[in-house]
Amino acid sequence: MNWQLAWPEIALAVCGMAILIFGVLWKGRSNAFACSMLTAGAFLLAALLVLSQGGGLGYNGLFVVDPFSSYLKLLILAGAALSLILSVDWNEREGFQRFEFPVLMLFSVTGMMVMASASNLMTLYMGLELQSLALYVLAAFNRDDARSSEAGLKYFVLSALASGLLLYGISLCYGFSGTMNFADLAKAAANPAGVSPGLIVGIVFVLVGLAFKISAVPFHMWTPDVYEGAPTPVTLFFATSPKVAAMGLLLRVMVGPFGHLLPQLQSLIVLISIASMVLGALAAIGQTNIKRLMAYSSIGHMGYALIGLAAGTTEGIRGVLIYLVIYVFMTVATFAGIGAMRRNGRTIEKISDLAGLGRNDPMLALILVICMFSLAGIPLLSGFFAKLYIFLAAVQVGMWTLAVIGVLTSVIGAFYYIRVIKVMYFDQPEAPFDRRPASLSFVAVAAGLFTTFFFVFPAPIIGAAQVAAKALLG
Amino acid sequence: MIASIAFYVFAAILLVSAAMVVTARNPVHSVLFLILSFFNAAALFLLAGAEFLAMILVIVYVGAVAVLFLFVVMMLDVNFAELRGGFQRYLPVGATVGAVLFVELALVLGGWQIAPDAGQLRFAPQPPDVHNTAALGRLIYTDYVLLFQIAGLVLMVAMIGAIVLTLRERKTSRHQSIAAQVGRDVRDTLELVNMPLGVGVSEFYRPLVEQPPPLHSDQPVIAHAGGGHGDGGHHAAEKR
Amino acid sequence: MAVGLTHYLVVAAILLVLGVFGIFLNRKNVIVILMSVELILLSVNLNLVAFSAALGDLAGQVFALFVLTVAAAEAAIGLAIVVVYFRNRSTIQVEDVTLMRG
Repeated sequence: MNWQLAWPEIALAVCGMAILIFGVLWKGRSNAFACSMLTAGAFLLAALLVLSQGGGLGYNGLFVVDPFSSYLKLLILAGAALSLILSVDWNEREGFQRFEFPVLMLFSVTGMMVMASASNLMTLYMGLELQSLALYVLAAFNRDDARSSEAGLKYFVLSALASGLLLYGISLCYGFSGTMNFADLAKAAANPAGVSPGLIVGIVFVLVGLAFKISAVPFHMWTPDVYEGAPTPVTLFFATSPKVAAMGLLLRVMVGPFGHLLPQLQSLIVLISIASMVLGALAAIGQTNIKRLMAYSSIGHMGYALIGLAAGTTEGIRGVLIYLVIYVFMTVATFAGIGAMRRNGRTIEKISDLAGLGRNDPMLALILVICMFSLAGIPLLSGFFAKLYIFLAAVQVGMWTLAVIGVLTSVIGAFYYIRVIKVMYFDQPEAPFDRRPASLSFVAVAAGLFTTFFFVFPAPIIGAAQVAAKALLG
Repeated sequence: MIASIAFYVFAAILLVSAAMVVTARNPVHSVLFLILSFFNAAALFLLAGAEFLAMILVIVYVGAVAVLFLFVVMMLDVNFAELRGGFQRYLPVGATVGAVLFVELALVLGGWQIAPDAGQLRFAPQPPDVHNTAALGRLIYTDYVLLFQIAGLVLMVAMIGAIVLTLRERKTSRHQSIAAQVGRDVRDTLELVNMPLGVGVSEFYRPLVEQPPPLHSDQPVIAHAGGGHGDGGHHAAEKR
Repeated sequence: MAVGLTHYLVVAAILLVLGVFGIFLNRKNVIVILMSVELILLSVNLNLVAFSAALGDLAGQVFALFVLTVAAAEAAIGLAIVVVYFRNRSTIQVEDVTLMRG
């Protein structure tokens, strides 16, 4: 048994337990800070282990390491590390700095990495649950705040229902094909006699469960409420790493074991994709809360990413993978800006509160402008390239309607992103925000630079995505 | 034949009690019906040959999860009658959704057939002559050890989460000071005294632990009153 | 009539339907919603055990074991969140959302 394949996950889990013990025993004043730094170190260690790994199938076929899983894992770790850096200062200001916060984040990331490496429906479910359970707690982490606990409760109830349906789907897949292993499922699905209605229903249930996790329409109901209610760094975390893990899982399941059924499921994915893009563009227009705006924005972005899956080609999968990287960094930079929205020690989240930022804090305003333009897909910023690769892949397989709808919803979406910019520069200025901490500036500048200058050095990321997509399609 | 009758009885009770869980007026009744349905599900597991799972279901679910539910229901002071406001309103929608879902599933399940090559896909065939529990044990510590460890992590996350969310250290609450209790010496609290004949107890009384001045110092004190039983721990706690 | 796999599957399907039904029916009472989720997971376990017996394959039972573990953990976290929510709002209603809408 090739158990070294799970080195990054094992290292992360062991580090998590060590940090937990350290946090309990060392009662220093800044033990939350120390634990956060140790967790960031653990993320770095895991990333190095991921990079130094070979590939292969291990643990009796439960666990697979290939370029696709490594790509996702690195992205998950990057998103989590940036959210963590943002959270340290935020939690301190909000008065709930506790060492359990980074530890829960770490275990959640462990679950996501297991999801990225799942090659069996059982591994998929266990990774998903490890991730979700930690996320429920993180959403409700600010336990004295009614909105945070409400966000946790809503997320929990809907997510538990989705997990239940996913699980029912897994049980049907198991019963009707006799296996839960991805490779064997692919064999069973390739045989037309093996494809019974039960297997199809099972797959649809699995699809529903995963669509919920990436908050695609019509399973998006939880997203705006949870994004708004959860503490801002947690919202950022929700918007990045779990989305990457769930999207990766969706790709792997749809292309791998159910790949032979993909043509039949394609219409379903196209529908979900169109619905997400349209809702993301239209529902965001009336929002006044910037975190809700970002929630609808993320629903729309997941819709765009699904176009690549609907295309189902190497170019499509590559497009999704590139999209995920760019989406993560755009989102991180935007949320760093949202994290700075604080006046007289109180958090503010209204879009109108941004008024006058262009004069009060030109640097932050510039980063937000770049983010908004990039989210809207204005050329030369990274968001443009993300959409370009996806639309090209769709056009290559002749899905013109999908590409046209994508472009149209981008144009509608640009309206509300540009409205934010208008508020920052042209509305009646309000009092300046509190001084932003150095960690926040660091995150904002780093992610902002990536978003701006992606076009200068796209080759390594595109190359890695190409290798990963090839590995997935075999 | 007997197995068939048993199946129908257990399945009927399971479904009826599950229906009661979602429709009962009082959440305490819901929990009790939940326990009943777990018991009957355990019986169905037994009929299907999954002995170990049946036992685990009873021990974990009835013993822990259902009690946890009961505990929370009792702990929260909720006006449950008020919560049933929308019950009638949601009934038609809920019933429609349920009926549609069931018809769909019935259509699917009616045509159950295993994939033709399922025989070769079998992952962990049931070994002959091995007890169900032993067979499961062989699997979860070997082939499925990864999942077993992840399940452990899931439980730990649940533990951390429950503690983070609900544990509150109040300044007014009194904690047990285990170190003080364990570190207590016998001589602090108990003294063996050899009593010569004809001598009163009071002459031998020597307090070893400082304690508040006795209210009636002139009264004779009994031998073992020197520190009082088991005071060590509580004293330490009060001092903090 | 001998009891076969189909019987188990039908019982599990009804149980799943009852669970989903319960979530729709008790939209205000979170505790009953949690119990409905437990019913859904129980139906999945019944499915897995039945398939495991029919296929002669222990993987289903192993998975049912893990599902039981996860379900217990989920119940613990869910109830903890309910308790926190109740402390903040003095109710366990989810529906009367006035704090967040849009």
